[in-house]
Amino acid sequence: MKLYKLLAIALILAFVATSALAIEGGNSRKGKYLFKKSCKACHSEGAEGGNVTPLSKTMSQWDRMFKKAKHDPKAWEGLSEKDLLDINQFLYDHASDSDQPETCG
Amino acid sequence: MRNLFILLLVGMLLLPATAMAAPTLEDLQLKIEDLSNELDEMYDIVEKNETHTAKDRIEWYGDMRTKVDSVHYQDITWNPGVSVDLFQFRDDVFAGNILALDPSTGQPVAGTPLANFAATYPQHLMAFMQGVQNNTLPAVGAFSMLGLDLGESAGKGDLNNDILYTTRLRLGMKAEVWKNVNFSGRLSMYKNWGDSTGIKVFDSWDAFTMDGTNGGNTSGDWLRVERAYFDWKDIGGSDFYLSIGRRPSTYGPPSQFRENEMRGGTPSGHLVHFNFDGITAGYKLSKLTGIEGQTVRFCYGQGFESQYGNGELYNTNDFATKDTHLGGINFDILNDGTNFLQLTAFGAMDVVDGFKGEFAFPSQLMPLFAPTINQDAQNFPNMNFQVRYQPSTVIGDILLGGLGYVRQEENGVNYFASLAYTQLRPNGDAGLFGGMGSDNLYVATAIDTDGDGTEDQIMPMPTNKVADDSNQDGYGVYVGIQIPSPGGKVGLEYNYGSEYWAPFTQAQDDVIGSKLATRGHVGEAYYIFDINPNMFIKVGGLYYDYEYTGSGSPVGTPQKVDDVLDGTAVSLLPVADTAWDGYASLTVKF
Repeated sequence: MKLYKLLAIALILAFVATSALAIEGGNSRKGKYLFKKSCKACHSEGAEGGNVTPLSKTMSQWDRMFKKAKHDPKAWEGLSEKDLLDINQFLYDHASDSDQPETCG
Repeated sequence: MRNLFILLLVGMLLLPATAMAAPTLEDLQLKIEDLSNELDEMYDIVEKNETHTAKDRIEWYGDMRTKVDSVHYQDITWNPGVSVDLFQFRDDVFAGNILALDPSTGQPVAGTPLANFAATYPQHLMAFMQGVQNNTLPAVGAFSMLGLDLGESAGKGDLNNDILYTTRLRLGMKAEVWKNVNFSGRLSMYKNWGDSTGIKVFDSWDAFTMDGTNGGNTSGDWLRVERAYFDWKDIGGSDFYLSIGRRPSTYGPPSQFRENEMRGGTPSGHLVHFNFDGITAGYKLSKLTGIEGQTVRFCYGQGFESQYGNGELYNTNDFATKDTHLGGINFDILNDGTNFLQLTAFGAMDVVDGFKGEFAFPSQLMPLFAPTINQDAQNFPNMNFQVRYQPSTVIGDILLGGLGYVRQEENGVNYFASLAYTQLRPNGDAGLFGGMGSDNLYVATAIDTDGDGTEDQIMPMPTNKVADDSNQDGYGVYVGIQIPSPGGKVGLEYNYGSEYWAPFTQAQDDVIGSKLATRGHVGEAYYIFDINPNMFIKVGGLYYDYEYTGSGSPVGTPQKVDDVLDGTAVSLLPVADTAWDGYASLTVKF
C-alpha cells in the first residue's frame, strides 16, 4: 500500500516535472537545420550513433536528455547553448507524442 | 550533571563509529530479503502496467473548439424560377402553336395562351418581341415561379445573427496494427448550441446533412466517424504504402494555418475539403530522388453508390444513375519543412445531380413543388417534414487540378499561394436542380387549365436536358500570410472563385459556408493568441462578396447575383450579395 502511495506521488511529481520541463524559446526551424547539419552524421542508419529522428523519443524524454546533457559532450562541443536549445525545440516539437501531420502514409 | 555531560560526549564519539561499522551478515540478509520483497511488489505493479498497455490498444487525442460567430448578410433575395428555351418559344409563336392573332386588330385573340401571358407578363413579352425584331433574342430566358414579371425584383433584405455559438469536438485515434501497419481515425461532433436535430431547413447546400460534409456542417450532437483508415507501409520492404478507408481529405494544405494546426489532410485544401471513402496507393519518392518529403499518391474514391440503399429490390428502375467514382494524384513535389509544393489533379466521373442526404423541406418551396401537401401544411406553419433526397440523373464529369506553394521562414513567417482549375463537362442531361453547370431547360407549352378543351395558358415544362451542354472552365486563387506577433500570430488571407469555380471544399466549417468554394471574393483577417502549446484563442473576421450564384455546387447555371437582385435572373435557393462574419474561438488540444 505504501508503495502505491509512493508510486502515486512519483507519478504526480513526474507530471509536474514534465510540465515544468516543456521546452520554450528555441527556434524549431533553425533546430531542424542544425539537427541535419550536426547530428545526422552520426545518427543515421548504419552510422556510429544509430538512426535517430525526432520520433525516437517523447517530448519529455527529449527535454530530459538535453537538461541532463545525456550525450557525449565532445559531440556537442561545436554547438552553442542557443544551438542546443533550437535543436531541443525541434526534437520536442516533432517528438513521437507531439502533433503530427494528419495525412495518410 | 557533570557525569551526564561526560556520558553524552562519549556517546557522541561512539555514535559515528557504530553507524559506520561494517554491517553484519545478518543485516545484509535482512536487507536482501527486504529488497527482494520490494522487487516482487514492483514486478506485480509493472506486470499490471504491462497488461494495461497491451490491452489499451488505441491512443486517444483530440481537440475541442468553442466558437462564437456574429453573422451578417446584406441584400439577400430569393427568386426561384426556370430557364425557358426562347428560340423554341419563338418558333412556336411563329408556327401559330401558341399565338392566335385577330386578323381585324392584329392583336392576340383574347383568352388565347399568349394573350393571357401578355396580360400577366407584359415585360416578358416586350423583351421577347424586341429580341425577335432586333435579332438579339437570347437562347434562354429566366422565368420566375413567384409570378413576377421580367425585371420585377423579389425584394431583398438583410439578415443579422448577432450571436451564433458552435462547439466542435474531434477525438483522434491511433493504433499500431503491426510494425508497418497503423490505424488512424477521428470521431467528430460539430453542433450549434441548442440544436441536435441533425438536419436543417434546406436554404443552401450547407443546410444539407450528407456523407461528404456532415463533419463540417453543424449536424447535432452525434459523434460521427470523420476518418477511419489504415496505412500499410513499406510493403514487401519497398517504399510503397497502401491506405484504405474513410480518408484524411479535409483541412489539407494550405488551409492549416488558419486552423493553427499542422497539415490536416492529404490533398490540397484549396480543391478538396470533403470526406471521401477510398483508397490511396503512395510511393515515397524521396528515397529515390533525394528530394525531402517527396511523395506521390494515387487516390481513388467513391462519392455516390447508385445500386444500394435506393429501393433497388422494387426493381422498377426509377432512376438512371450510376456510381460516382473519383481518381487522381496528390503529388508532394517538395516538403522539407521550409518549402512545400503540391500538385493535385483528379477527376470525378459520372457525377449525379446532388448527393444522398437529408434536410427539412422548406415551407417556402411547398406552394411551388408540393401544392397538395401545402394545403394541409397551413395548419402547421412551424413544422417541416424530413426528406431523404437522392439524385436522379447522371449529369457529367468534373476535372480538377491545382498547384499550391507554402513557404515557412525561419523567423516564423508563413505565406502561401495556390492556383486551381475546375472544368465542368456536362453530358446534356439534367435533374430537378439542373445539369452540370447549366439549368434544366424548360419549354413554354400551351395548356388547358380550365378544362374547356381549349388551351388558355402558357406553362414551362421541363425537358430534363441542359440549356447549354458546353464544357465550363472555372478557376480559383488562394493566397495568405501569417506573421508572428506579440503572444501569437496575425494572419491575412484572400481567395477568389470565378463564375464556374466548382471545388470539393463544402466541408469547410465556416458557418456562412466554405469560403474557398465562393464564386466571388473572400477576405479574412485573424489574430491567434497562443495561451500555451495546447490552448489558443482566435479572433477574426471574414468578408464574402458573392459575384455568382451556386457557390459550392456544380449543378445549375451560375447567375450574376446583381441580376437575381434586379429580377432579370432567377435562383432556386436564396442568394446574398455580401456577408461578413466576426468570430472568436477558444480551442483546447489534449
